Amino acid sequence: MGARAEIELLLKASRLDVTLTSAAPWRQGGREVAPIGLAALDAALAGGLPRGQLSEVIGPRSAGRSTVLATALAAAAGRGEAVALIDTSDRFDPVSAEALGLDLAQLLWVRDTGDAARALKGMNLVLQAGGFGLVAFDLTDVPSPLVRRLPHPTWLRLARVIEGSQTAALLLGAEHIARSPGGVTIALDRARPCWTGAADRARLLGAVALRPRVVGGRI
Amino acid sequence: MRNPSSDALTPSIPGAAAAGASLFACLRSTRPPGVLLDLAREFSPRLERYGPGCVVLDVSGLGRLLGEAPAIGEAIAQAAADRAAGIRVAVAPTQTAARLLTVTHPRLVVVADPAAALAPLPLRLLHTLIDDGGNAPGDSAAGAAARARTTAARLAMFQRWGLTTLGELAALPADALSERMGQEGLLLQRLARGADAAPLVPDPGTPRFRQAIDLDWPIDALEPLSFVLARLLDPLAEALERADRGAAALHLDLRLVDRTTFGRVLQLPSAMRDPKVLRTLLLLDLESHPPPAAIDVVTLELDPAPARIVQYSLLERAMPSVETLATLTARLGALVGDSRCGSPALVDTYRPDGFEMRRFAPEARAAVTPPAAAPPAAAAPDTVGPVLRRFRPAVAVRVVVRGGRPVQVTTGRRGLPEGTVDQQAGPWRTSGAWWDGGGAAWDRDEWEIALSDGSLCRLFRDRQLDHWFLDGVFD
Repeated sequence: MGARAEIELLLKASRLDVTLTSAAPWRQGGREVAPIGLAALDAALAGGLPRGQLSEVIGPRSAGRSTVLATALAAAAGRGEAVALIDTSDRFDPVSAEALGLDLAQLLWVRDTGDAARALKGMNLVLQAGGFGLVAFDLTDVPSPLVRRLPHPTWLRLARVIEGSQTAALLLGAEHIARSPGGVTIALDRARPCWTGAADRARLLGAVALRPRVVGGRI
Repeated sequence: MRNPSSDALTPSIPGAAAAGASLFACLRSTRPPGVLLDLAREFSPRLERYGPGCVVLDVSGLGRLLGEAPAIGEAIAQAAADRAAGIRVAVAPTQTAARLLTVTHPRLVVVADPAAALAPLPLRLLHTLIDDGGNAPGDSAAGAAARARTTAARLAMFQRWGLTTLGELAALPADALSERMGQEGLLLQRLARGADAAPLVPDPGTPRFRQAIDLDWPIDALEPLSFVLARLLDPLAEALERADRGAAALHLDLRLVDRTTFGRVLQLPSAMRDPKVLRTLLLLDLESHPPPAAIDVVTLELDPAPARIVQYSLLERAMPSVETLATLTARLGALVGDSRCGSPALVDTYRPDGFEMRRFAPEARAAVTPPAAAPPAAAAPDTVGPVLRRFRPAVAVRVVVRGGRPVQVTTGRRGLPEGTVDQQAGPWRTSGAWWDGGGAAWDRDEWEIALSDGSLCRLFRDRQLDHWFLDGVFD
């Protein structure tokens, strides 16, 4: 065994393998993904959200952040995985999510009342427990200054917890929050509403056309 | 010594004992009750007495020791024959079926399908269940006598209808039976089908898993209490393991320095016996519900239940273990409140935001292999149904209405959508629960609107309050 391989083994045993850039999983062709269930977005992400990494979905109001989240949760639950949502502002709507195919029995929903620091503890607990396919942390309605006030090492710690696991972690926010080196940032522009029917009384908001861009991450 | 012969109505109960399915044996005799109890305790610590001449024992876990249900029945019948003559033995998946079959079959009988086995038996057999002492342990004597009188009247009514067998009663339509006989009639029908009216309640004489410690000095903090709990839980966990049992509930009684007793009961989602997990759950519960004074005596008792048998699969996704989930939900409950974490479940109502929170218990399912090839890069834009971000409670807003339509929305709060209405759909009227009265009723006109700031919202006018509210934002 070469010295390099021996060092890599020792680092891996100590869960320090990603400190060697070339030993990082995404450089070894072993990238595992959790498909979101949206064909165009999955194509742009080369399969889906990277597992073992912290990714983020950002965008303005009505851009489709919750739609992407609900679709990703539904896809993961459909694969038989347990999923979790840390809902900082208690905004999640189970009725809409079930309409997108989410099996609610597979979802652990933690409903906070707007305390981002407390919700962060909840996120940490869920990630530490392990065994979840997708864990999402919704910070969408938390004012940006409050999010920025969270200590930066927080996100490093979260990324460290799931490193090498099968869990994909997802942050939702209005603007860039954080992502791990192997994670991705999905930026959503304002979604286009698809109305059906001509008259008010016959019209329905049938769907929204998403306009995602993958603006960061190693794809 | 004679070899007990058997009436195997159905040859076996495939895998029932091995897979952890319910399996009960009933012993019936005119001998003194001590004989039956001693015999039953040779096979299972979980037994329940029904009157002086009938004992039901839970033999679900004997599959690994004795084999399938017929083998278990043979072993019990052999032991009964060695002990005394005239002890009847029946083995069935339900207590009711086992009890009824011992009345009609003098020799060992083993059944797999209780309903089919009971169908040809006479209806009057249900009197036996009353004579044995009923199906509601814990009833007062007067209550039991009243129940017995009601049941006897119902059975007499069935006989006047011309029903003679349990199968005929079991075949009646449940709705019509409920209309004529109420819950009592349905209960008798369930018994005729061989179903149990109540789970087995172990006889108080069965071993108790209980530990207590009298402290030299009162404890008024959780940290020292955790060491005490560990000292109590370790031997209890060992005892559970020896008995192949797990704890289904924890009863913690703390006698306080003010001479009162502070009690907590933890119902566990699944039988478990890991002392570290049990201690963590107790401590988390005490964090949320601390005792009002220092503690003098700690008493801990566990309700035993059959141990959980886990078969891992290469084809199923790895899920958080039951112990992990119990600890996680307890920690999250302590963090955000018990009612604010779990799985949402939609309820059968048109009420907006109609859901309830349930315990999070995901099911392990076979893993689905993702498609090998990624979709083409030039896929069409994703168009999906809108997802609402709901305000709880709905936000009161000011709305300018022209021609019966909302044209301008003002919230007056930062971070909330407002502006002129570019596009709208509605109104969609929904109302309900007016028949209940009180504050549960709702009556509103809903609009889906696109605002000039780019937001897509759901707006509604409460027709009772005549006020507009923002229900949520489509996102």
